[in-house]
Amino acid sequence: MKKKVLATLLAAAMTAGVLAGCGGDTAQTPAAETPAAETPAAETPATEEAPATEEAPEAAAPAADDAIANLIAATTGPVAMTVWASEEDQDLTTKLLDQFKALYPDVTFEITLGAESESTAKDTVLTDVESAADVYAFADDQINDLVQAGALQEVVANYTYDVAASNVAGAVEAAGVDGKLYAYPMTADNGYFMFYDASVFTADDVKSLEKMIEVADAAGKKVAMCVSDGWYIYSFFQGAGLQLSLNDDGSNTCTWNAAGGTDVAQAIIDLAANDAFVDMTDEEMATQIAEGNVVACVNGTWRAETAQQAWGDNYAATKLPTFKVAGKDCQMSSYSGYKLIGVNPHSKNLGWAMLLAEYLTNEESQKARFEARGLGPANNAAAASPEVQSNPAIAALAEQAAYATPQRVGGKYWDPAKTLGQILASGNPDGTDLQQLLDTTVEGITAPIE
Amino acid sequence: MKKTIKSVIRHLVLLFLSVVWLIPILWLFVTSFSGYKGINTSHFFPETWTLDNYAQLFLRPDSIVQYPRWFWNTFVIAAFSCIISTILVLMVSYTMSKTRFPGRKGLMSFSIILNMFPGVLSMIAIYFILKTMGLTNSHLGMIIVYSAGAGLGYLICKGFMDTISTSLSEAAKLEGASQATIFFRIIIPLSKPIIVYTVINAFLAPWADFVFAKLMLNSGVATDWTVAIGLFNMLGKSMINKYFSVFCAGGVIIAIPISALFVIMQKFYVEGITGGSVKG
Amino acid sequence: MKNALNAIGKCFKDLGTAFTKGDIWVKLSAVVMGAGYFARKQVINGIIMCLVEVLFVVLCVGYAAPNLAKFGTLGTVQFEQVFDPLTMTSTVNDYDNSFLILLNSIISLFIIFVFVVFYISNMKTVYRLQLRQENGQHINTFGEDVRTMFNEKFHITLLTLPAIGIIIMNILPILVLIAVAFTNYDQQHMPPNALFTWVGWNNFKNLFTSSVTVTFGYSFRKILVWTLEWAVLATFTTYIGGILMAKFINDKRTKLPKLWRTLFIIAIAVPQFVTLLLVRNFFADAGIVNTFCSNIGLTDFLKNIGLVPANLSYIPFLTNPGWAKVMIVIINIWIGIPYQMLVATGVLMNIPEDQIESARIDGANPMQIFVKITMPYMLFVTGPSLITDFVKNINNFNVIYLLTQDVFVTSDQLLANSNAKEIDLLVTWLFRLTNEYYNYKMASVIGIIVFIICAAFTLVTFTRTIKGDKEEEFQ
Repeated sequence: MKKKVLATLLAAAMTAGVLAGCGGDTAQTPAAETPAAETPAAETPATEEAPATEEAPEAAAPAADDAIANLIAATTGPVAMTVWASEEDQDLTTKLLDQFKALYPDVTFEITLGAESESTAKDTVLTDVESAADVYAFADDQINDLVQAGALQEVVANYTYDVAASNVAGAVEAAGVDGKLYAYPMTADNGYFMFYDASVFTADDVKSLEKMIEVADAAGKKVAMCVSDGWYIYSFFQGAGLQLSLNDDGSNTCTWNAAGGTDVAQAIIDLAANDAFVDMTDEEMATQIAEGNVVACVNGTWRAETAQQAWGDNYAATKLPTFKVAGKDCQMSSYSGYKLIGVNPHSKNLGWAMLLAEYLTNEESQKARFEARGLGPANNAAAASPEVQSNPAIAALAEQAAYATPQRVGGKYWDPAKTLGQILASGNPDGTDLQQLLDTTVEGITAPIE
Repeated sequence: MKKTIKSVIRHLVLLFLSVVWLIPILWLFVTSFSGYKGINTSHFFPETWTLDNYAQLFLRPDSIVQYPRWFWNTFVIAAFSCIISTILVLMVSYTMSKTRFPGRKGLMSFSIILNMFPGVLSMIAIYFILKTMGLTNSHLGMIIVYSAGAGLGYLICKGFMDTISTSLSEAAKLEGASQATIFFRIIIPLSKPIIVYTVINAFLAPWADFVFAKLMLNSGVATDWTVAIGLFNMLGKSMINKYFSVFCAGGVIIAIPISALFVIMQKFYVEGITGGSVKG
Repeated sequence: MKNALNAIGKCFKDLGTAFTKGDIWVKLSAVVMGAGYFARKQVINGIIMCLVEVLFVVLCVGYAAPNLAKFGTLGTVQFEQVFDPLTMTSTVNDYDNSFLILLNSIISLFIIFVFVVFYISNMKTVYRLQLRQENGQHINTFGEDVRTMFNEKFHITLLTLPAIGIIIMNILPILVLIAVAFTNYDQQHMPPNALFTWVGWNNFKNLFTSSVTVTFGYSFRKILVWTLEWAVLATFTTYIGGILMAKFINDKRTKLPKLWRTLFIIAIAVPQFVTLLLVRNFFADAGIVNTFCSNIGLTDFLKNIGLVPANLSYIPFLTNPGWAKVMIVIINIWIGIPYQMLVATGVLMNIPEDQIESARIDGANPMQIFVKITMPYMLFVTGPSLITDFVKNINNFNVIYLLTQDVFVTSDQLLANSNAKEIDLLVTWLFRLTNEYYNYKMASVIGIIVFIICAAFTLVTFTRTIKGDKEEEFQ
């Protein structure tokens, strides 16, 4: 298998392989330090974007194979590594690790598998980068912080498959910072969309949020969304055409308080005023879906199982609906999300860690992950398979993709946005002027990084 | 007649209060037998009863739930740290209570203030100090975390020793006993209640702490954890709906030995703490 | 304070005397620490002192000097790593880790300080030995010296080990914390990848000023007020509640007091983090209590009288600032009272019966007896521990964190802009600043303030207890 796939050695990237923070003088590392000249193979034109698998130029493959052979030869003792995968991914990862070990029979591996949720990986890694796992999974919104803290090894070369070419463009973009690739895309399903119970809603109902609320109200059921959360409230403001983006220094630019902002805020207040529209957290939704109270919710693939169990054949998913802003229908936007695998630059077995990260994210592994857990692959070939295409949650994500944007936002965004959501969802109890409310939020979001 | 009514009311009030106090504990107990793994929000009692949660804890350890290992880890850490803590506390208490040396009162004020400093504040520094010694992710490191600073918590124990009459030690001194002999032969045997109090407190700390444990045992490997981290982890965002009743079962299991300890030691506990706090 | 200064003054005076009046051996001891002992035939003591000195020099050269040299800048060499795709390995430069430099420098300074104290006391001892020899007094053999460690100097023997533990676990971390408050150690400056450096009083200024974007000043004031309110409420409710409950259960008219007591103790035998996490789910917005309240119509009733916002279909027990504060206090009463009851039970048993009897004969009713006799006695006995409880409540991390983490969302925008919440105590705010936002510099500043507040409360109460002669009362 390994022989077939392409390995592109990004020789040009080697000089850029300096892993450092934002320090200006670090870029001046003398080129002599990089041993590029040592082997002619490294001179392979690297910038070419070769497609994956069979069409691979045979010339490039030996370089990667050489590197791996070198690595095997240079490995004397047992290779001890720690891998962190989420709690739900433990069984699958154990299996993949065994397969990985079998690929290199000459090497003794001592791989420890730890449980660390993708959504909280950053918290554990950043506390002490040096003792974090060698290879770990994380959600793409953490990539800026992780890169800044030097917790991700830049992917300067591929050995068993071409990461950039074989994954969907959005995932590759999400795995990079400033045009450099820092992680290996694992899934492309970490965004959100609408789940609904088809016995309550028709396919027409779910096109508009107002209609959905009306139908749910008539049925005495609820539509749920976690409004008091920066991740979800984004969908309203972005959907109405207001901007939020990340600056180079890690601060944010935000225009939510510009013209039209108050209309969006009012729209959210109006939505939340409906008894049939509830603001609740993901965990609560899980219980409420199971109890039959919630018949539609804005959530992600991780809730698919719960919804499927509760609604059976009526389980359905689609893109987010429209909502009314000042009498006009606006399509709700969303964050597209990816789960990535990163390699810790402080790893003692950097080479093996990179090979393992590649293995855990290659086409077969992504397929296996879909089969085991229904997670949407980021790999083009795996995503193209008919089983994946026919999965309702993944189809809904694909539908939503046109309105989704990658998550590029600085750390100052979350708390102010969450509080804005909380105030709007509870109907602005203090009666603060909406413009002033948004102004304060924007001040918080755009606060300079000191 | 009036007396009987008053007595009935008195006991009804007590009954009401104990129900209030025990309802959450009862919920913990019954939920631990629930066939539904998530949180049941509409029924107090589970709809289906099962022992499966306990079976999962003990018979089917996986990479997230390693209850027997957690229990053992916590027990080892608790046992050693309670021995070390108790020894340290006794040493300091005796010195402060029964010996006189220049600077004693200054030292006491200093250590009382130091003891007011909450550990949460200096966690990160402690972590890196232990990391330079290579003690993170190890039982030894945890034992040090829980017991090294124990000497500061001498106040109640010292108060108790203050109440031990000096006549005995005076008599012993006249017969030529050294301070060490007095410490080992006279004061320690007389301090039984406060020793029990100190032992229980030190033994319980590792069972309840998740903040330090989570920071120190950061390998992500479930077999390294203590009960507290393990259980805390079960209520994480992605876990709670599959592990809530398992969490309850785990809670019940640790509550059993601790309750037993409490009930048996109640007498010593009361004697110890009041003997000590008489002097504060 | 004055005493301390006097002591230091005397210390240096003694050192001066030793230098001027000491013989050649004493003077030689200033260079070779064991010299004075060799001269008085205390060979083992001499060897130990020399070893200590050698060890100190080795530590200074090998450990303290390189770190202290960088202490002024906290390092200048940025972390750099070069990856070679062909060998699949990377090379790392010899970079500076600001945090380790800071930590090691503080440890070094501490070792130097301890050595200086040790050195001075050594000079004094050597001089004393000379005097003893001149006066023809007995000079201890090594064995005799060891024996004094178990008798006259037993306190030194006993305190050594606890002191080492306390230095590692308490003193060094506090010193590090204080130092970090004067640096820019935050997420933008996190070792090993980035360096941080000294910034003087900047962080303190930020905490006490409030601008549009820096709302730390606002949050600090608000949280400080709530912290103190909470500490007072939590301490007194559980204290009074515990005494009342103990009185009630221990009353002669109560049957089976032991059974009742045990029932309440069961509630605290389950570890706090389990009960608190459980209770959080118990009172969740879509939790079982809410289901119950809405079934019996309580939710609608509270809505009608305006206690629950009109647009909610549940009671926001732990999600609305007002409700959450009340609930936190109530839940704290729930876990706190059984402890206080245990303590109070013991104290009440020792209450002088004759006083109560005579009061009763004088015609005092139970209420008067409670207010005039029981409470003053309880306060007298448990006063100091009341203050300890108060300070512990200022730092009551568990209750607030476990009940509200991931559940409570602040609706105060200015608080949100500095990552704070209405129900935060200073410690929980600080914990989240470090744990979620890596804002170590601000957390350290807040930590120092918390420490000062707690120390002030403690000093006021305990100096009285320690300085007074109450200690000898029972002996």
